[in-house]
Amino acid sequence: MLSLNHFLLLGAVLFSIGLYGALSRRNAVAILMCIELMFNAVNITLVAFARFLAPAATASQSLAPVSTVGQVFTIFVITVAAAEAAVGLAIVLAIYRTRRTISVEDVDLMKW
Amino acid sequence: MNLNLLLPEISLCVLAVVLIVIDLLLPQGRKSILGYIALVGLAFPAVFTLSLAGVQQVSFSGALVVDQVSVFFKLLFLIAAALVILSSFDYTRRLSILQGEYYALVLFATSGMMLMASTRELISIYIALEFTSITLYVLAASIRNDAKSSEAGLKYLLLGALSSGALLYGMALTFGLTGSTVLNDIASALAQRGISAAAVLGLVFIAAGFGFKIATVPFHMWAPDVYEGAPTPITAFLSVASKAAGFALVLRVFLTAFEPAEKTWLPLFMVLAAVTMTLGNFVAIRQTNIKRMLAYSSIAHAGYVLTGLAAATAGATSGMLVYLLAYTLTNLGAFIAIIAFSGQVGSDQIEDYNGLSRRAPVVSLGLAICLLSLAGVPPMAGFISKVYLFAAVFDAAAKNSGLYYLVVIALLNSAVSIFYYLRVVKAMYFGPAATEESLHTAFSLRVALSAAVAGVLIVGIYPTPVMQAASVAAQVLFH
Amino acid sequence: MNDPIIAIAFFVLAAVLLISALAVVMLRNIVHSALFLALAFVSVAGFYILLNAEFLAAVQILIYAGAVMILLLFAIMLTQRANTPMSNVSNSQAGLAAIVAAAVFVVLAFVLSKTSWLTGAAAVTQPNTEVLGKALFDYYVLPFEIASVLLLVAMIGAIVIARED
Repeated sequence: MLSLNHFLLLGAVLFSIGLYGALSRRNAVAILMCIELMFNAVNITLVAFARFLAPAATASQSLAPVSTVGQVFTIFVITVAAAEAAVGLAIVLAIYRTRRTISVEDVDLMKW
Repeated sequence: MNLNLLLPEISLCVLAVVLIVIDLLLPQGRKSILGYIALVGLAFPAVFTLSLAGVQQVSFSGALVVDQVSVFFKLLFLIAAALVILSSFDYTRRLSILQGEYYALVLFATSGMMLMASTRELISIYIALEFTSITLYVLAASIRNDAKSSEAGLKYLLLGALSSGALLYGMALTFGLTGSTVLNDIASALAQRGISAAAVLGLVFIAAGFGFKIATVPFHMWAPDVYEGAPTPITAFLSVASKAAGFALVLRVFLTAFEPAEKTWLPLFMVLAAVTMTLGNFVAIRQTNIKRMLAYSSIAHAGYVLTGLAAATAGATSGMLVYLLAYTLTNLGAFIAIIAFSGQVGSDQIEDYNGLSRRAPVVSLGLAICLLSLAGVPPMAGFISKVYLFAAVFDAAAKNSGLYYLVVIALLNSAVSIFYYLRVVKAMYFGPAATEESLHTAFSLRVALSAAVAGVLIVGIYPTPVMQAASVAAQVLFH
Repeated sequence: MNDPIIAIAFFVLAAVLLISALAVVMLRNIVHSALFLALAFVSVAGFYILLNAEFLAAVQILIYAGAVMILLLFAIMLTQRANTPMSNVSNSQAGLAAIVAAAVFVVLAFVLSKTSWLTGAAAVTQPNTEVLGKALFDYYVLPFEIASVLLLVAMIGAIVIARED
């Protein structure tokens, strides 16, 4: 009943929602949250591939089985997303200290 | 697993950590020694990189490759890092930048770029790219209590994260279609199964992610803002090394993994190249701030380099490598001169460059040489590399007639660009000076500028060794 | 995957995930958005369990619903001014953003549903934590080491930027 396409479609919907939010929000923290949604969409896609792809799909040179590759990729994406969030929020705090606002349109020394 | 292949990267990371530890032990006021340690320490990765010249080896389960291409790029990054560190001595002292962390992060970023030039597997590529990017976000925001710098860091991070979302989606689709993350396996799987619509989609998403790194249209909008707000040595670093690292990835991914889909991406890059150089040049004309002008000019140069990818021959690839090296030296020189001026004049506005040749003749001459080289005037490096690249693209036009138009567009663009580069030269040499008081430039900046200008002239007058190295390297990517 | 209970679980989780994701991008109070984001993260962990990726589900809860959420909430609380109910409004490009996102979705949905993926006939055994750990230190030791330096850099960077003088 459930097939790979269900999960891929779910990932596509979530990716688009995140993309819309990232492009349309004004608050820097909100933009960061929407980008996290996009990363989660990618992760669902990757884990779904890991679950459904045939083992034979793994080509000759890469030694790890395809199910492992998908999940390992996801682990790295989560790692990077957390690091990026930490740095992003540090910058947000720094801006707030000098400017008292973190809205990307209020901040207008340079054109956005 | 062969750790020797990673020695340049490892030594850079060790050097960075050592710097942070020394920083803790140094009393306040003695911190400027950190810059010298970082600069001298670069000798280690340089020696290790040179010792890898001629090696052709794959390691770490196919994730890492050391070949002529990666060595070429690694040396380019080291040259850029050395000049950036040298030009930061004066800058970090003037502005409130934490020196230990600053130099350490520059070294980490260099290490990340080297990894970008050496990885051949999607997961490693992604991690190397993010390693470099996160380091650069921090560096862009590293001037303390400076709203413009923090804002540059935030914009860079938000747009960078957005683009890596697109990149990841593309990588996920490519992995799903081919069942592998190793570039060569992706190529054989694509060749075997044909290019489906999903493969094209994956390719486009990946191109979008890389397009952000090299600042091509329509992913260029971050560049002017970030270039203007970031510390100027970091702006220089971003405009040359980060861009070159992006090109290293583009070359490896598209010429290896997506080689079977060449018919799809050749027209894509052709259009991107034409639009990118045209937009960059025409918007650059309107700029009044020299950092923003050079930001748009660097977008235009990314467009010129992309013409090589639209041709996708060994000759054109070799042209891209030579062009990137010439552009690195030239643009670094221009930015070093800007650092020298803004330190004295306190402004980056082009109108404030009026009459500077009488106040600082040596630095003005250096900036003029670099700007003329960017414009492609002989005998500078910018001229010979443009000729070399465009001639190679022209050669490839026999099998793809669209390239004739591309070369014509590139030449017209080069002609347009002369206008805005010369405007600055004209202001410096013929503009009325506000005062006649002569400017004092820090010794380190003079050394850095002389080195960059010497490089520009040497490559411009005797380019043969660089061209030979580049063409040997380019052959690697075409088996 | 043929068990009807799993199918029901999928659709319930999908509803929770998509509604909370929409709430994240639509609500005007950023504190509410953040709370719905936590719900979205937890429901993604649910999908990982459906896909037999238990380790990832645990990581998702710990890192995303735990660490990243705390970071986000800290940032919100430390930077919030009086006007919290209007703290997450849209910018002037919201219309364009909607068009771009809708276009991306239509293209993705069309292409993904038309593609024939190399799916296996039988259910594939999914790697357990031990297999993943071995793979990380075996095939993926290079990205693993880069990730460790990346985390070091992120830590140094966050301190450099956020530190008060």
